[in-house]
Amino acid sequence: APAAAPSPPRNKYQNARRVLNSAETQNLPGREAQLQELREYFTSHLESQSSGSLYVSGQPGTGKTACLSLLLRDPEFSKRLQRVYINCTSIASVGAVYKKLCAELQLKPAGRTERDHLEAIQRHLRTAKRMLLLVLDEIDQLCTTRQAVLYTIFEWPALPGSRILLVGIANSLDLTDRTLTRLNARCELKPRLMHFPSYTKQQIVEIFKSRLAEADVLDVFPPVTLQLLAAKVSAVSGDVRRALDIGRRVVEIAEQQKRDGEKEFNLKALELPDGQEKAEPRPDIMKPVQVTQVAAVLNKVYGASQNLEEDIEAAFPLQQKLMLCSLVLMLRNERNKDISMGRLHEVYRRVCAKRNILALDQAEFTGTVDLVETRGILRIMRKKEPRLSKVLLQWDEEEVHAALSDKQLIASILNDTACLSR
Amino acid sequence: SRLAEGTPRRSIQLSNIVEQRVFKDNEIISTPKRGRKTKSIEDADADYSPRSVQKTPTRTRRISATAKSTVTPIRGTAATSASAAPITPSQKLKKIRAGELSPSMQQRSGKPVDESRKSQLQLAREQLHVSVVPKSLPCREKEFENIYSFLEGKIQDQCGGCMYVSGVPGTGKTATVTGVIRTLQRLVSQDKLADFDFLEINGMRLTEPRQAYVQIYKQLTGKTVSWEHAHTLLEKRFTTPAPRRVTTVLLVDELDILCNRRQDVVYNLLDWPTKSAARLVVVTIANTMDLPERLLMGKVTSRLGLTRLTFQPYTHKQLQEIVTARLGGSEAFKGEAVQLVARKVAAVSGDARRALDICRRATEIADTARDKCVTMLHVQQALGEMIASAKVQAIKNCSRLEQIFLQAVAAEVTRTGVEESTFMGVYTQVETIAAFMGVSLPPPGRALRLCAKLGAERLIISEHSRNDLFQKILLNVSADDIHYALRVGEIAAAN
Repeated sequence: APAAAPSPPRNKYQNARRVLNSAETQNLPGREAQLQELREYFTSHLESQSSGSLYVSGQPGTGKTACLSLLLRDPEFSKRLQRVYINCTSIASVGAVYKKLCAELQLKPAGRTERDHLEAIQRHLRTAKRMLLLVLDEIDQLCTTRQAVLYTIFEWPALPGSRILLVGIANSLDLTDRTLTRLNARCELKPRLMHFPSYTKQQIVEIFKSRLAEADVLDVFPPVTLQLLAAKVSAVSGDVRRALDIGRRVVEIAEQQKRDGEKEFNLKALELPDGQEKAEPRPDIMKPVQVTQVAAVLNKVYGASQNLEEDIEAAFPLQQKLMLCSLVLMLRNERNKDISMGRLHEVYRRVCAKRNILALDQAEFTGTVDLVETRGILRIMRKKEPRLSKVLLQWDEEEVHAALSDKQLIASILNDTACLSR
Repeated sequence: SRLAEGTPRRSIQLSNIVEQRVFKDNEIISTPKRGRKTKSIEDADADYSPRSVQKTPTRTRRISATAKSTVTPIRGTAATSASAAPITPSQKLKKIRAGELSPSMQQRSGKPVDESRKSQLQLAREQLHVSVVPKSLPCREKEFENIYSFLEGKIQDQCGGCMYVSGVPGTGKTATVTGVIRTLQRLVSQDKLADFDFLEINGMRLTEPRQAYVQIYKQLTGKTVSWEHAHTLLEKRFTTPAPRRVTTVLLVDELDILCNRRQDVVYNLLDWPTKSAARLVVVTIANTMDLPERLLMGKVTSRLGLTRLTFQPYTHKQLQEIVTARLGGSEAFKGEAVQLVARKVAAVSGDARRALDICRRATEIADTARDKCVTMLHVQQALGEMIASAKVQAIKNCSRLEQIFLQAVAAEVTRTGVEESTFMGVYTQVETIAAFMGVSLPPPGRALRLCAKLGAERLIISEHSRNDLFQKILLNVSADDIHYALRVGEIAAAN
């Protein structure tokens, strides 16, 4: 029997966690102006029955797709408009967008080629009874060298007798200026631009409040914590997905800590002698999340390299440490910053010999450098021969020192300039 | 354009395994290759005409009809009952694609060796094999707890999400994640948790990133379809709400292989969880810690979220614990032997696979030495083999002239100060050294042959010898290695 989900009573943390998901929602606080502008644009074109194109841009997670899909569901437009939404990442190739559009419009093309599909669409555009609203999400996926497809699509509004409202969504602000320069030659073809700015602090606070109010768990987050979280996110990216993610992490950690606290309490209760106050069921006290908890999550998320250091301390293999120290030594004392794997290996061997450590041979050494690369400390520019590959340090020297957290070793190696001599 | 090209039409190959299994006992049907063979054998027999037997449709139908009536359901498996009825290759392919034939492998004719007759070393060796995943992973309790609470929360909340797990190879990433899934499945079977589907893809097992859709769809329904079709069906499944949909957990291993230039596959895999109808939880595994920032587009990184977990390399204590846990109470290993392995491996990579491999090799060495117990000496020998540098040996075993040539390359490098030297300069050095040693000098043509041989052995890196005197030569071993190998050789020769 499926769906026999045993649903235990959910506490407020769980409700908050559920409501802070990054899926689609119905109301979009913080995007009222944009929604209004879009609505006006659509109605004006509907009333004048003229076609037009619109390009919507903005950073990831600023609510572009959410706004458009809200309008696509709007009953106000459903009678007067035929609505089609296509995500351009889900098409097989750039040319296949026509086929997908045919399928969405339920057209019957004459043949199976791309051209047949295009002709069927153009015939439909000329003779359609209703106006068409076509939303193309992630439109930068349609960019090619000649931009034939993009130009064809953006020229549909100028097709005689066509009534189409075209909306393209992408991240970059100047996609139409960069890749669709020829559209500027004709004023009626020029798409109207609309930019979604990153969310400000106040908007993120509003979003959190409305979400939490949805499940009636507003008291889980005190206003101070919301302010802190929103200020930090809006200062870095203004991406609401990120904000919701952090909010969820905070709740998860609070829940975890509460559960641990309960465990302790149970243990204490066990120790009590039998007769006394045993049967007192502890009321479910929901502590709101603390500022310290939010700050801890924020530090973990935004202080990426700092918390790398914490983790690394425990387990940074010795040979990798020696390799990194040799690299820092070379970068410090040599004018040539172009360090090949072979040269690095030679210095490393001398460093090892000084410390009476058995050095790895070259094959093994290449593997070691690869492993350090997965931490993001280095980058290897691959060449045909592994010995000729170039090793580039991606971190600051200070960061490397902090990460290795082995001051004695570093200091002794950095003083060892004798190892560098050829 | 390059983007337009899809996958090759025929993405499925007829696997040999299925072919053998299904058609082995049935001589009437034959794959083209086998048909040719039987024909050549049967040519002498005039009455026999295999073609008519195969191809006549009436005959086929009749045979299948009789097969249906005669074959009793004793041999109940799908593969054997299918083999009773003759099928053309295209029919077989159709059945494979529909998932009606399950691929089976030929059974071994002999029986496996009895457990009780194995020696202690042998048992230890089997326990130490990398493929034996223990029931509980030692030293990964924290990570287990982390992934467990994430997945349990997602399944209870009935919403989607993503997680990114990273760490260097051999640190127990996949084993931990599948262990969590097994634990959750056990909870489901005890009715303590809502039911969920588990799908799994591995980027390295796909010929092309888009084949991921095919694999996911195949795990959902068992059918094999083209990737375009699979993608459409998956999109339909994940975007349209269905009231009885259970949560789906998708494990994506080797995420970095799935990243092509357009990144459409990764985008789709991470975009489906954001749909409220999908109830999809994606756990992605890769080696690189900063893969989202380094390789993925901004919009993909934004969808991947911030729930991340890094597996650190094992320390020597942890490696020791892992190996002793594998050995159980066995006395086959000395404690200090395990410690030596753990320390050596933890200093280089912290890779558990490697520690286990070295331990296995040590048991093999102890076995050939007819010892009952693995000691430090065996481990030392195994380490010498596995973390070995064979280059010094190779230089020692070179011919006399080749050694002189290597010396000359090293001398030329010290003389000029740059790593790259031309053949002309090296040859001059060869002349000098040969004169010094009193050896007769090979002509440049033969020296080129020496150079090509050393280049093929990868002791040096050389160009093609068509631009003879001006070809560039690079030393692939360190100069110290050459001096060390030759001096030790000389001392041995002098004695």
